Amino acid sequence: MQNPYIPIPVDVAKIVTEVTTKDIKTFRLAFANKEDEERFQYLPGQFAELSIFGKGESPIGIASSPTQPGYLEFTVQKAGVVTSELHSIEEGFRMGVRGPLGNTWPIDYLKGKNVVIVGGGFAFTTLRSLLNYMIHEDNRSDFGKITVVYGAREPGLLIYKDELAAWEARDDVDMNVTVDKGDEAWTGREGFVPAVCEQVAPGSENAVAVICGPPIMIRFTLPVFFNLGFSKENIYTSLEMRMKCGIGKCGRCNVGSKYVCKDGPVFSLAELDKLTKEY
Amino acid sequence: MEKRVIKKDALAGIIKKLAESMVVYAPVRDEDNVLFKVLEEGMEPLLDFDNTKNAPKNFFFPQTEVMMRYMRTERGRELSSVDAEAPEAVLFGVRPCDARSFVLLDNVFNDPKYKDPYYIDRRGKTAIVSLACVRPPYTTCFCTSVDGHPFSSEGTDVSLIDMGDSYLAEFVTPKGEELLKKIGDLPAADDALDAKKQEMSAAAEQSVNGAVPARAIKAWMDENFDHPFWDTIHQSCLACGTCTYLCPTCHCFDITDEVKKEDGRRIRSWDSCMSWLFTMETSGHNPRPSQKERWRQRAMHKFKYFVDNFDAVACVGCGRCVMYCPVNIDIRKIVTDISNL
Repeated sequence: MQNPYIPIPVDVAKIVTEVTTKDIKTFRLAFANKEDEERFQYLPGQFAELSIFGKGESPIGIASSPTQPGYLEFTVQKAGVVTSELHSIEEGFRMGVRGPLGNTWPIDYLKGKNVVIVGGGFAFTTLRSLLNYMIHEDNRSDFGKITVVYGAREPGLLIYKDELAAWEARDDVDMNVTVDKGDEAWTGREGFVPAVCEQVAPGSENAVAVICGPPIMIRFTLPVFFNLGFSKENIYTSLEMRMKCGIGKCGRCNVGSKYVCKDGPVFSLAELDKLTKEY
Repeated sequence: MEKRVIKKDALAGIIKKLAESMVVYAPVRDEDNVLFKVLEEGMEPLLDFDNTKNAPKNFFFPQTEVMMRYMRTERGRELSSVDAEAPEAVLFGVRPCDARSFVLLDNVFNDPKYKDPYYIDRRGKTAIVSLACVRPPYTTCFCTSVDGHPFSSEGTDVSLIDMGDSYLAEFVTPKGEELLKKIGDLPAADDALDAKKQEMSAAAEQSVNGAVPARAIKAWMDENFDHPFWDTIHQSCLACGTCTYLCPTCHCFDITDEVKKEDGRRIRSWDSCMSWLFTMETSGHNPRPSQKERWRQRAMHKFKYFVDNFDAVACVGCGRCVMYCPVNIDIRKIVTDISNL
């Protein structure tokens, strides 16, 4: 019997400091054993427990795409015991992952549709996975128009800066990067994410919106999408809760009858409407 | 199903004999308490008792257990071992309510997608011998309100019924029949004994206290997450967690790491939804910020969420939470009050 609590050994292959405040880093983890890599079949939207023996585990969304074989990437903010330890380690460190866990962005449902990705702050990790998955040459023709609205408070807090430039350079992604307030060097768009969504005004016909960000951003962004004609069935988001086991047994991440770890983390607004608001 | 007769004065000897070749957990007196313990040489299994203070879930889902061990290497810390597998065992003297709790826990720990190897290993290797409640032991018993019965054999491998001068032994499962082979020859039970058992069973059912509408309140719970009733039960709660630790069906746990010099271990321990820390997030956000939300979670989990997921109430009516709550919060009253709203 496979023991789902034993972490898969991985080595930290690369660490990128994403923001000027230095508290958000992306960790590239390479599998120590080839067979573990082959077994780790995942799709965008899933998460894994990052495990550091002696410190504990932390559930983090997978930021890489399955179209990038050989490694996993996780973008992590320094916050608690495990993530602080992560921020202190160096390349070459042996750690563990448990996963993939949870459900995925509704990939099959998105096929043949226009997709609007909206992200705020550092909540762009599993959205990055989704975007890289959709624009991969094997998959791009499966999806219609791709529109992205991504914002941060200031230019230094935008993550994945190299990729943002690469996505902007493509003619098959409508990329809209914004900051609440620019600095002297900033030549891009200024404005809050909800306002930019209003200006970009993606059509709701045959379209699905996938939204992640701080609660305040989500609260003001949803009405924009309702006004554009998006139904609750066609707006998706991802929830976070405190977790331990990640497989629906330890009992703490439930929202009503659903466990965010195994029934989520991805839910449509229509699904969330049926749940209690305890998250 | 094999039905045999065990002479009253022979039972203790049979159990002690089994304990020579395998691990036997049995009720024993420990100061003022009756507790399940590993039966060692010179110890007497208790045959005449009400119920154990603790639920027997501990034997499959220990209060604390080591999940894995690790050691420091030049790269960091790496897995060194996963603890050895469980021995073949007999869990003797379980009351029918507690035996049913294993069927409920199986839903959680042995679900089709994610198997819990620690629980499944111990559960699979342990034969459960239950003692029917000829006379329901407490006024707080309410098994018949939660799909149970004082003579239920659900979750048990061998069901023993005290017939006065002998026990009727029903070997319910293949695992139970294996145990019969180990015990050796026992005389077969006749139809008269079986008929007597039916009478006793009906009488025992009648003597369990009045109905608690445990199934009926789900419809109300489906609609009333924000009802003012939820403001009325938690004020006296001390958040001590006694109800959750004594509960045969509570399965929440925490996973923590312990390090001593070069070596460390990852352990899991029972946790409690009654604690503020249970859902506290690193950011400071807590989805269940007060005891009100925690009590609603406990009640909803038992009588709605578990029903949604597994079509069973997550309560076996043992009454431990009622007996040992230091401020007399009574789950029977909560359920009954809800049914009257």
